Amino acid sequence: RYREVSFGPTVEDRGVEGTRRGGKSLQKVNERLLEKNPAESLLFDVVLIATDSQQQSSRIISSTSHYGLEVGRFCFSSREDLVETLVVNNVQLFLSTDRDEALQVSQKGVLSALLGRQEAPSESLRVMLCGDAIVRPDCDPVPASRGAAQSFSARLGEMRGRFGVSGSPLSIVLVTSSGGSKSCGVALQTLRSRGLSVDEAYCLAGAPRGPILSLLRPHFLLGDGVIDLED
Amino acid sequence: MVKMSLDPVQVKELNVSPSPNGDSRASWEEEEVEEEEEDRLGIATKTKPVSVTDLSSVSPSLCFRLAARMSRTQKLSLPDSRFPFQEASDRGSSELFTTSLFKVWCLRCPPVAHQWGGASDKVTGRRARKVEGGVFFPKPENAVTVAVSSRVLFRTELEQRVFEQKGVEEYLRYQIEHENEPFAPGPAFPFVKALETVNARLRELYPQSEELFDIVLVTYNHAHVGIRLINTINHHNLFIERFCMTGGSSPIGYLKAWQTNLYLSADADKVREALAEGIAAATMFMTEKLTEVSESQLRVAFDGDAVLFSDESERIFKAHGLDKFFQHEQDNEDTLLDHGPLKGFLEALGKLQKKFYAKGQRLDCPIRTYLVTARSAASSGIRALKTLRAWGLEIDEALFLAGAPKGPMLEKIRPHIYFDDQMFHVEGAAEMGTVAAHVPYGVAQKHNQPQKPGARK
Repeated sequence: RYREVSFGPTVEDRGVEGTRRGGKSLQKVNERLLEKNPAESLLFDVVLIATDSQQQSSRIISSTSHYGLEVGRFCFSSREDLVETLVVNNVQLFLSTDRDEALQVSQKGVLSALLGRQEAPSESLRVMLCGDAIVRPDCDPVPASRGAAQSFSARLGEMRGRFGVSGSPLSIVLVTSSGGSKSCGVALQTLRSRGLSVDEAYCLAGAPRGPILSLLRPHFLLGDGVIDLED
Repeated sequence: MVKMSLDPVQVKELNVSPSPNGDSRASWEEEEVEEEEEDRLGIATKTKPVSVTDLSSVSPSLCFRLAARMSRTQKLSLPDSRFPFQEASDRGSSELFTTSLFKVWCLRCPPVAHQWGGASDKVTGRRARKVEGGVFFPKPENAVTVAVSSRVLFRTELEQRVFEQKGVEEYLRYQIEHENEPFAPGPAFPFVKALETVNARLRELYPQSEELFDIVLVTYNHAHVGIRLINTINHHNLFIERFCMTGGSSPIGYLKAWQTNLYLSADADKVREALAEGIAAATMFMTEKLTEVSESQLRVAFDGDAVLFSDESERIFKAHGLDKFFQHEQDNEDTLLDHGPLKGFLEALGKLQKKFYAKGQRLDCPIRTYLVTARSAASSGIRALKTLRAWGLEIDEALFLAGAPKGPMLEKIRPHIYFDDQMFHVEGAAEMGTVAAHVPYGVAQKHNQPQKPGARK
């Protein structure tokens, strides 16, 4: 069973750019997983979704091969059908550079994340989780993507667990923005109970996020759809 | 502490005027006003001689002028090596004057609220963590941010050994296993507690202000250790709400992002990196002996050269010896010293002190700063004081030891932390129970290698 990660652009250049940034690191994770276990089934599968016309599509395909990105599948969908396309393709994480698009998708129940804006030179795939969402278990209304988030973090934890503490091609970073150290501790414990061990933890307690984010340089930022991700 | 003779020394031909007590202006400002009416050396022309032991009425600016006068009109035979204070009373009158003058220097504001010996005001029971009112998450640019690593805030020697002997996986497993056992307090713990005491006082006076101490835990540690660290923070009732656990990567970038004013770590390499980035930083070591420190007043002591000031004078001393050093200092008395790595932190402390003064709490100020230097009062010390004055920095007590060992003096002051650039002094202080932090800056580093090897992380 594959972990489907889909890159969804609305403008194809952004999509390729996004794919390029995250894609290399994703590939590295897959490579290392297969090194350890050639029969590994818990891998990343990248689906590139283009919501523009057919003409642009061929450009996308040639661009991705030009960059040497292993895209499992290409999907062409209209904007209105985006969520349906994601569901049909069993996408577990939708990545976008467009915050509104990501928000829209997550409101329909598919977990989505933003692609990091900075060039992340680090080889390892850095996935950042916004802890504030994790700590608010009973907020009203419960985000539609809550269930998807929980199962995703469990799978991510499984994947992370295949590697040791150091030299892992996958790093999990937890950032809590508003609560104090106690609530960050709760987030750490909650994630651990889901099977996800965090590598780095930052508790901002109200400090501006920008400077820290620009140092962290995550590839993916996972929130609850309600976090204002400015950098 | 050695008993020094406090017999009044009548100073002939020196006309001084006592400064009024409880003056709301800072003493430095006072001096500016009087400048016009005075002679070349800046001494007022009133005729009432005053005994030098009438300490409560002697302001530092007065002492300053006394010293200036002294160095010009009287040839003081200065010892060219440390002299033990117990012999002071056996020596000639000029050195006795130096001793008395030294004592005069020491007291800017007569200690009303506390004794020299460092009163321990024990707070019974645990302080309630819930505080009403006030700002708790100040913006980093407004607060005085102090970043501490987990190894200096708490005692982690056992865990360090596990890491060194058995590797990182075993280390993390051990930490998780002992997650509910809080760490014991480390060398920076009393300092951090004192910062919180100051914060409590600041919040009382200025409930809406963000000009507070903000303590951030910045550690290399992996987030697996996070829960144990948070449990420990809660156990000790510490108010640390911000932290960075970088999981092995360098914390230096985060120091800048937090606009750190002071970084304390057990790792000398990280401290050096921070200093290179312009962040005040010092290495701390665990000592077995720890004297009690005040729980109501934060006391911070600084060495002069290569800590508050640049190391230029130390270079002269190391290259050409003590005589050349004195000569150089005298020739350059009116040239300001360049600033050192901890000048900014002293400045930050001064800003907070002024907030207390503004509310009429000068005598009861919960922050007290000390200069503890091997310079001598009547000669090389003048340049140091002139520099501080030009920078607009006030220091509460200035101790000019003229080469005497710092340990006993520090033991009397009982600072929560003492910054020095020479390991020799740091170790000397530690032997007598003072928490001393090493600032690896300047020319002294080539000559004094730390006795302990720089440990990892």
